[in-house]
Amino acid sequence: MSLIELRNVSKEYRNTHALRGIDLVVSRGEWMNIVGPSGSGKSTLLNIIGGLDSPTSGEVSIDSVDISRLPEDDMAVLRREKIGFIFQQSHLIPYLTAVENVMLAQYFHSMAEEKEAADALSRVGLGHRLEHRPSQMSGGEQQRVCIARALINNPEILLADEPTGNLDRENTRLILELLDKLHSEEGFTIVLVTHDPFVAQWGRRVLTMEDGRIKCDESICRL
Amino acid sequence: MKKKRFLHFFLRSAAQRKGRNLMAALSVMLAVAVVTGMVGITSGVREKLGAELRAYGANVLVSPAKGGSFSKEIISRIRNIRGVDDASGQYFTVASIRGHEVEVIGLELDKFRKMGWKLFGRLPGREGEMLAGINLKTGLKPAEGNAEELIHGDLRREMILSGFIERGGPEDSALIMSLGDAWAVSGASDVIDVVLVRVSPSAFEEAVRQLRVTLPDASVKSVRQVASAEESLLSKIRLLMLLVTAIVVFASSISVASTMAANVFERREEIGLMKALGAKRRDIGAFFFAESLLIGAAGGFFGCLFGVAAAEVISMGAFGTFIRPAFYLPAISLLTGLLLSLVSGYFPVRDAMRSDPAVILRGE
Repeated sequence: MSLIELRNVSKEYRNTHALRGIDLVVSRGEWMNIVGPSGSGKSTLLNIIGGLDSPTSGEVSIDSVDISRLPEDDMAVLRREKIGFIFQQSHLIPYLTAVENVMLAQYFHSMAEEKEAADALSRVGLGHRLEHRPSQMSGGEQQRVCIARALINNPEILLADEPTGNLDRENTRLILELLDKLHSEEGFTIVLVTHDPFVAQWGRRVLTMEDGRIKCDESICRL
Repeated sequence: MKKKRFLHFFLRSAAQRKGRNLMAALSVMLAVAVVTGMVGITSGVREKLGAELRAYGANVLVSPAKGGSFSKEIISRIRNIRGVDDASGQYFTVASIRGHEVEVIGLELDKFRKMGWKLFGRLPGREGEMLAGINLKTGLKPAEGNAEELIHGDLRREMILSGFIERGGPEDSALIMSLGDAWAVSGASDVIDVVLVRVSPSAFEEAVRQLRVTLPDASVKSVRQVASAEESLLSKIRLLMLLVTAIVVFASSISVASTMAANVFERREEIGLMKALGAKRRDIGAFFFAESLLIGAAGGFFGCLFGVAAAEVISMGAFGTFIRPAFYLPAISLLTGLLLSLVSGYFPVRDAMRSDPAVILRGE
């Protein structure tokens, strides 16, 4: 059953074609990685799926709801209800502790509960770092706080933009194992952007982008 | 619970920029102090001016046109003019008390009750007694019943202090005594510097005309004229203060706007993140408007205190009297502070609310 559906989606930025007529279906519970060179449109595609950006033309549906022309505030509601973001730079608020950073996501969703936020951090192995600020944590730990924050509101989709881009191999493996567990045990739908072949092999499906187009969809290429 | 969390995140965030927010609050405080001072002076002094002149019960002032003094006979001449209900003379001199020069006012003490001055102690009942203005009580600390030596040139005279008066004017720093005692202190005799005249309102124009004809060497002014001279001074001060206020408010609003713009710029990443986490425009706006409100409220509160203090100092310097701040002054100060910070913060906050999370999170 499709959870994400894009029909003929294009995006232009001042005469630059970031995406050209993308058609894509991602099923519920799927883990899809998007790879491709810089400027190929990977992050733009991820932002459009996540409602952070809107297409110039075409249609985007999340869980059968067309989000391509949603007003800004409705888009915000969709993001907090259905999507969890994991960023390359983790984007943690430096003056808040780990648990407060997670609670901030809860605050915009519904009610900030410290215990739930602490549980989410324990889930990613950071139960002992609740009161630490980002500057007191390693890059890998910061990224795990970012994952805990993405999980806290029980989203259906995890969107990760180069989540291991700033990490060493050991921490990269830790993060990927965590995502794999969330995918296989808890059924999260994951769309992950990467340029790292090591990361790309963890997905069940690999989408290769080039010049704003899908060059190869692994599940199709295999046929 | 939601409000508590909002407060928690808001305070954590505001504390990060406390130096900058403090500067913005100081700018607001300055503007509010100027506005409060201006409103305080213009409303307070006008009220005082009216009360001051009404307190005498007089509606015409007669004084020598070319300086100098009148002979005391002028009082009876004035009383005889048709339409004049009463007339009372005053004589002014200066004497030294315990090494301090103070103004001495000689007047007809039997008219004292009509003048509406506050009396602490008792009125001088016999020759050689005097009253002191309330400001001297704290300054020179004379005690009731004690004798004080007044020196004027080579003359020395002992006067017994029978009480204190308070009027909210220059008399609060003067010694008040009968005309006879004031003459004795200065060595003058039977001279008058000003006559306060009560003219029947129904015969006002004719009586004033008669006063001018009968006393060609005197300046005869209705209290309204005196008031309007002071009003004119007040208007000039008000105009000047309006100009200063406009400049200060403008400068302050630029300062607050630039502070808010800097805050928004510094928090771009946070704003992008909050939007990605599902914050609506109004959620983002709430944090920044709360910051504006805090700056405005703090600036308004302290601006009110400084404004009232400044109004008192200016009023004392220019008009020789303290003012009683109007009851609505704190509300005006607070509103000015809030309005100033909200209006100045509006455009930066609007930009924050409209910002594009995808662009911000890409680091552009």
